[in-house]
Amino acid sequence: MATNVMLQQAAGTLQLLSSCGIHFRVGNNSVRFPPKDLRAKRGSNCFGEKEFSVIQASALFPSNEESLKKSNEAALILIRHGESLWNEKNLFTGCVDVPLTHKGAGEAIEAGKRISNIPVDVIFTSVLIRAQMTAMLAMTQHRHKKVPIFIHDENEQARLWSQIHSEDAIKQSIPVITAWKLNERMYGELQGLNKQETAYRFGKEKVHDWRRSYDIPPPNGESLEMCARRAVAYFKDEIEPQLLSGKNVMIAAHGNSLRSIIMYLDKLTTQEVISLELSTGIPMLYIFKEGKFTRRGSPIAPTEAGVYAYTTRLAQYRQKLDEMLH
Amino acid sequence: MANAMLHQSVGTLQLLGNSGTHCEIRNNSVKLIPKGFKVEVGVSKRGIYSSGEGKLGVIRASASQTSVVDPVLAPSNNGIHESRTKSNEVALILIRHGESLWNEKNLFTGCVDVPLTKKGVEEAIEAGRRISNIPVDMIYTSALIRAQMTAMLAMTQHRRKKVSIIMHNESEQAKAWSQIYSEETIKQSVPVITAWQLNERMYGGLQGLNKQETAERFGKEKVHEWRRSYDIPPPNGESLEMCAQRAVAYFKDNIEPQLQSGKNVMIAAHGNSLRSIIMYLDKLTSQEVISLELSTGIPMLYIFKEENFIRRGSPVAPTETGVYAYTRGLAQYRQKLDEMLN
Repeated sequence: MATNVMLQQAAGTLQLLSSCGIHFRVGNNSVRFPPKDLRAKRGSNCFGEKEFSVIQASALFPSNEESLKKSNEAALILIRHGESLWNEKNLFTGCVDVPLTHKGAGEAIEAGKRISNIPVDVIFTSVLIRAQMTAMLAMTQHRHKKVPIFIHDENEQARLWSQIHSEDAIKQSIPVITAWKLNERMYGELQGLNKQETAYRFGKEKVHDWRRSYDIPPPNGESLEMCARRAVAYFKDEIEPQLLSGKNVMIAAHGNSLRSIIMYLDKLTTQEVISLELSTGIPMLYIFKEGKFTRRGSPIAPTEAGVYAYTTRLAQYRQKLDEMLH
Repeated sequence: MANAMLHQSVGTLQLLGNSGTHCEIRNNSVKLIPKGFKVEVGVSKRGIYSSGEGKLGVIRASASQTSVVDPVLAPSNNGIHESRTKSNEVALILIRHGESLWNEKNLFTGCVDVPLTKKGVEEAIEAGRRISNIPVDMIYTSALIRAQMTAMLAMTQHRRKKVSIIMHNESEQAKAWSQIYSEETIKQSVPVITAWQLNERMYGGLQGLNKQETAERFGKEKVHEWRRSYDIPPPNGESLEMCAQRAVAYFKDNIEPQLQSGKNVMIAAHGNSLRSIIMYLDKLTSQEVISLELSTGIPMLYIFKEENFIRRGSPVAPTETGVYAYTRGLAQYRQKLDEMLN
């Protein structure tokens, strides 16, 4: 397993932190951005972990918001929604639009705390309320105070009626785009049934097939492959261009649509994706840079001792937030 | 004016007034008297309820009045919801959503789809506690997330444990994909219908502007007119009258029939769409509706009975001592919940 190296800049010095299971806290107020070129020294960190390479940090000191945009690096956050009312009742949900339980709402807020310092410029969700609520509850915790706004273009009137007439308000907003292609895998005739009913109706083996295979769909439903096809197509067509243009993106969706996307990001095999389990309510961070996706694990809650930031740019963003809010 | 509430306990009847003094009733003394009975009530010895404001009338509670039935109460179906065509009384709950992110920033919101703040989320949960014992068979919300979240968060507090499910009719695929294949599951669900006609009043060219910008751009007087008149719309926007037109039409066409068929309904919407509906329910004049301010996050209860809407005020939170139920039907419903959950 590779070592994830995190850069943390302190006034005039450079601290190198490794995140191989050992976490330590860095005080906020010691962080400052030296205005000029800075070269990191090569070496191993204090824990004798593997070596890491030299980072040229000159390009990473934008003097203003604008050059942050020219950055060739963007954050991608994936959040799987928490407990829904049918999860609690153990019913196959699929595309039935079931909301979150009280616990699920709590999970969304927790997730929000974990990403409260990571920039978000645009949000994508499915058309199901449990994902949308997860995104909105999470964003109530965000420090930057921009306002998520759902885009309505289901018809001409919806578009007209939702228009904003202030440039400033638009600048301070985060568009939220809803897409059925990010929906949970459609479970066809299993939707609404509990595990027992399905075993009776179809037989245990068949059910196991549908749940654990890659390409066998339940009656009138989608296989994981079908789900992946439309989710990844959507990601490539609509979301990746945003990342390419430097926008930081958050996707709030479901177990199967997110695995499908991760399959694409991490280049997993069908076998690997079947055994991939995403924790609910725990955000996954990826850094998109030069056309590549680098998995950065799960941001930790601010109260836990941990890595301060995943990349220089994110450290800068957090710093900017601190300055703004003090 | 005293609202007399009936509360039945084993063999006796306690009469409570809610003229400002509240008293608490313990649940375990309540039982349903199953068949024909006639009750005559007088004032209880302890005089716990009223500080003398207004009189309490005698209530005759004969069996013929017990036609209020919630499917939950029909003994034969183990608490499963069934069609209730014979009920002559149903509950209508109106909830105005709480603080949104643009409320906080003091921007005109209208139909811009802005979500709730942390505070707005809490208001929704609080509202939910207040209605946790009132039956809900159907939910209507606007097409805006702040009303939808308010409804869903409120329902996380409901004791009945039925599952709210949002209906999708935007396309053939949406309809097909959201189908449920279990009768039992469908019975345990509360359909949620979203309708743009319940949206907040559309504020046209003012949407996104703050109070200062608007005063600068249009002049203070004009702005005051738009906000406080009944029929003057802001540029490219709706007047309160226009908003009322589409909201009340929707209510009459879609919601009232549900009430008439015996369904208990909750509407989660916005300041102007709800006032418009209340204008219809309470037969207010346009002057009266302009000065009507609905508290955010505080549910309003109406009882729909024999084609009349009776306003019942705001249900109190369960932790506050208060009137136990607004009607016998609601008292029975709560009793059933208690039995189910204990």
